[in-house]
Amino acid sequence: MNVGETVLQARNVHKTFGTKGSAQHVLKGIDLRVTRNEFVGVMGPSGSGKTTLLNVLATIDHTTDGTVLIDEADISKLGNTALSAFRRNKLGFIFQDYNLLDTLTVKENILLPISLSKISKRKAESEFTAIADVLDIKALSNKYPHEISGGQKQRTAAGRALIHQPSIVFADEPTGALDSKSASSLLDVMEKVNQQRGVTVVMVTHDPVASSYCSRVVFLRDGKIYSELYRGDKTRHAFFNEIMDVQAVLGGDHVDGF
Amino acid sequence: MLTVFELALRSMRQNVKHYYLYFFALIFSMSLYFVFTSLQHDQDVQNMTHPSVDFSAGFQIAGVMLIVIVGIFTVSANGIFLRRRSREIGLYQLIGLSKGWVARYLMIENILLGLGALLAAIICGALISRLFVLVLLNLLDLEGIVGISFSVLAAFKTVMVYLLIIVITSIQMMLKVYRSTLLDLFQADKRPDLTKPPKAVASAIFALLGLALIGYGYELSGHINKQLFVNALLMLGSIVAGTYLLFRVTIRWCFYLFRKRKDGHLGLTNSLSMAPLMHHTKANANSLTLITLLSVLTITMISMAYSFYYSVEQETRHDFPDDFMFENEQQEALSFQNELEKEGIDVKHHVVEAVLTKGVILDPNDESHKFEEGLLWLPAEQLKQTDADLDMPPDGEAILYNAGASLSGDLDERYPTEIELEQNGQTVMYTLRTVMERNIMNLNAPGSQLLVSEATMDKIAVQMAGTPGYKKIRFDTFQVPDKEELATASSLYAKSVSDERLYYFYAQYKEVLQTTGLLIFIAAFLGLVFLISTGSILYFKQMTEAEQEKQSFKTLRQLGFDVNMIMKGIIRKQAIVFLLPLTIGMLHSIFAIKAASFMIRSDTTFPASIAMVIYTVIYFVFALFTIGYYRNIVKNAIS
Repeated sequence: MNVGETVLQARNVHKTFGTKGSAQHVLKGIDLRVTRNEFVGVMGPSGSGKTTLLNVLATIDHTTDGTVLIDEADISKLGNTALSAFRRNKLGFIFQDYNLLDTLTVKENILLPISLSKISKRKAESEFTAIADVLDIKALSNKYPHEISGGQKQRTAAGRALIHQPSIVFADEPTGALDSKSASSLLDVMEKVNQQRGVTVVMVTHDPVASSYCSRVVFLRDGKIYSELYRGDKTRHAFFNEIMDVQAVLGGDHVDGF
Repeated sequence: MLTVFELALRSMRQNVKHYYLYFFALIFSMSLYFVFTSLQHDQDVQNMTHPSVDFSAGFQIAGVMLIVIVGIFTVSANGIFLRRRSREIGLYQLIGLSKGWVARYLMIENILLGLGALLAAIICGALISRLFVLVLLNLLDLEGIVGISFSVLAAFKTVMVYLLIIVITSIQMMLKVYRSTLLDLFQADKRPDLTKPPKAVASAIFALLGLALIGYGYELSGHINKQLFVNALLMLGSIVAGTYLLFRVTIRWCFYLFRKRKDGHLGLTNSLSMAPLMHHTKANANSLTLITLLSVLTITMISMAYSFYYSVEQETRHDFPDDFMFENEQQEALSFQNELEKEGIDVKHHVVEAVLTKGVILDPNDESHKFEEGLLWLPAEQLKQTDADLDMPPDGEAILYNAGASLSGDLDERYPTEIELEQNGQTVMYTLRTVMERNIMNLNAPGSQLLVSEATMDKIAVQMAGTPGYKKIRFDTFQVPDKEELATASSLYAKSVSDERLYYFYAQYKEVLQTTGLLIFIAAFLGLVFLISTGSILYFKQMTEAEQEKQSFKTLRQLGFDVNMIMKGIIRKQAIVFLLPLTIGMLHSIFAIKAASFMIRSDTTFPASIAMVIYTVIYFVFALFTIGYYRNIVKNAIS
C-alpha cells in the first residue's frame, strides 16, 4: 500500500437530472483525485451537489458525462455482476441513517459483507475482533440495532463498512443524526482508522467540526469545486477556523464554535 | 380540502395492487356461499336425488363452515393490512387528525371494498350456479338439465355475511386505532418481538412438550374408535397445542441454537431467511399454526370425502356381492329370470342351499359375552360355483363373512374363536377360524354368514333339525355383468317385488353414490376456499414483509450483493414459510385420516394421496407467486 498512490480519480464529471426542457445541471465538471490514506471531506451549501457527487463517485448513481476510476477501474463500464463484486471488495459505506438490518445483531451486521467471500471463520473472527476493538463495540456484539444508541449504531455501520478492508469508504453525513458527543467519538474513531489502518475515506458533511478531522476539505459551489484546504500539520482547531473562513465566503450553513 | 370519503377512495386506488388477491378470495368465498345457499333452498335438484340424501342439511353445514373460514380469513388479512399501514395510521394522527377520523377513514375504505366484493360475489354466484349444478349432477350420476333461478333468500343471507364481516373488521380497526400509541405505530416493524435468548430450561421443556403433545395425538389416532368422543377431543387438543408450541418454541429454539453456533458468522442466505423469521416469532407462530391447522382440516376433509366417493362401488359390493337375491322364493325368482331373458339381458343364475340355526359366537376377550344370534351356514362348494372368491374351510371349521366387522368393534385377538350350538341340552363346538370383512350373501340375508364345507353344513343340519330357529333356506342369486343392463334389470326388479325386498345392489349403490357425491362436491369447493384463504394469508404476510425489507435490499445492494444472491436467501425463507406448515400439516393429516379411516372399510391410501398431491400443487403456486412478488420488490429496490 503506497501512500500517494491514486485510489479515486474523477475527471470532468457532469450530472444532469430531468429531461431536456427542465434539466437541472447539478454537477458541472468536477475533477477530483483521492490518494491512498487520505481523509477527504466534501463541504458546500445545500444544493451545491455534495450528495450527488458522493453518489456518483460511490457507484450509487451514474454520471451524465465524465469518468470515475477507482483503483484504475472505470466504474461506469462495470456490468451489474461486476459492479456488485466491486462494491463487495473495494467499497465501504456509512450513511446518516445507519442502514443496519434490524433483524441481525451487531456482530451479524458487521460480518455480513464478508459472508460470501471464501474467508475462513477464524480469519473473519479475528477481523471482527480487531475492528470491534477499534470501534469499541465488542461488548455490543449480541445486541440488536433497536437496543443500542445512535452513536453505537453508527459505529456498527462503520464496522460493517471496514470489515472487508475496502479500498475506499464513502460516508454520507455520518454524524448527521448524532448528538455532538457521539459525533466526536465517531469522528475520533474514523480518524484513528484512517491513520492506523490506512483506510481512505471520502466524507460528505455540512458540519465544519466533522470536516476538521479530515486531511483535506473540498468545497463545492453550484456543482463546481470552489476551493480546497489541506490540514497539513495544523491543529484541528486551527483547521476548523480555516474551514469556517471559507464557509463564510461560500455562504450557507453556519455552525457556531466547537 | 379533501373529505374523508375522497381520501378513502384515493387510498383504495393506491392500495388496489395489495388488495386484488384479497378481493378475489373474498369474492370467491362469498360467491360460493351464495351458490351453496341457493342450492340449499332449491327444490328441483333435491327432487331428483334419493329421498334419504339430506341435501339441504349438507349445504347448510357447508355454509356455516364457509362463514367460519371467511371470518378467519378476513380477520387475518385485515390484521396484516393494518400492521402494514401502521405508519400511515400514525402519520394521520401526527398531523393532527383525531383517532375517530382515522378509524372512520379506514372503515369507509373497508366498507366500500367489501361492498364491491359483495356485488361481484352475488353476480358471479348467480352466473356460475348453473355450472355448479351441472358439476353436481355429474358427480351424483344424474341425468337431466336443471335451471336454477336467482334466489333472493340466498342473496339476503350473503348480505348478512357481508355485514358480519364488516362489523368484525371494523371492531378490529377501532381496536388498532384506539389501542396503539404513536410509538407503537411507528416502530411496529422495527421492534422484534422476542430478542432475548430463550431461557434454556423452560424452552427445552416447552419444546419437548410440543413434540410430546403431537406424539401423544398421533398415538391416540391409532385407537380412536374406543371412546370416540373423548379420544377425538383429546387428540384435537393435544395436536393443536403441540403445533402451537412447535412453532412458538421448538422451531425458534432450533433456530436460536443454530444461530448461536454460527456466532455471528450467519452468512447472507441465513440473514435473509432465518433472521427475519426469528424477528417476528410471535406473529409467525400464530399465523403458521393457523395455516397448518387449516391445511390439516382441508386435506383430511378432501381425502375422506374422496375416499368415500372412490370406494362406493367396492363398499357396496362388500355388502351386496349379488345383484339380486331371492330367499325361498323359487317361483318369483323364476319369473324374474324369464322377464330378464325376454328383455335380452344376459344374466347368471345360481342356487345356494343354506341352513339357518341359533347359536353363540364366543368372544375370547370377554368370557361373559354369550349372545344368541341367528347363524347362516353356507356351503362353500356351492358358492364356489358362483365364481365367488373364497377359501375352502376344512371340515368342522367356519369362516365368518361380515362386511361391517371393523365397524362393530376391535378385531384384535377376536379370532379364532368357538361357536357354541345347543341341541336338546347338548353343546356342540365348532371352530371359527377367522373373519373376512365382506359379505358372501347380500346384506339382507338373515343371520351371521358362516362359510363351511358342504359336509359340515349337512352334519349341522342333521344335528340341529327341529331346534327353535332352525330353517333351510334356498337362495336364488342373480348377476348381471353389464352395467347398463343392470340398470334396466334393477328397474324391472323394483317393479316386480314387494317393498320389503327393496334392498339390492343397484339401489344401494345409487343412494350411497349420491350421498358421497354430495360430500365430495361440498368438500372439494370448501377445500378450495380453505386453500385459497391459507395461501392468501401467507402471500399477504410475505408481501408485507417484502415491503418492510425494501430498505434492507437497498443496503445489501450498497454492500455489493446482487439480485440473485439476495433471491437465494429469499427463496430459502419462502421454503421455510411454505414448507413448514405444509409438511407438518401433511403429517398431521396422515394421522387424522388414519384416525378417521375406521369409518371407511376400503383402503384410503390412494384417494388420500391424490388429494394431497393436488393440494400441494396448488399450494406451490402461491409460493411461486410470493417469490415472484419478492423478486420484483428486490429488483425495484436495487435498480
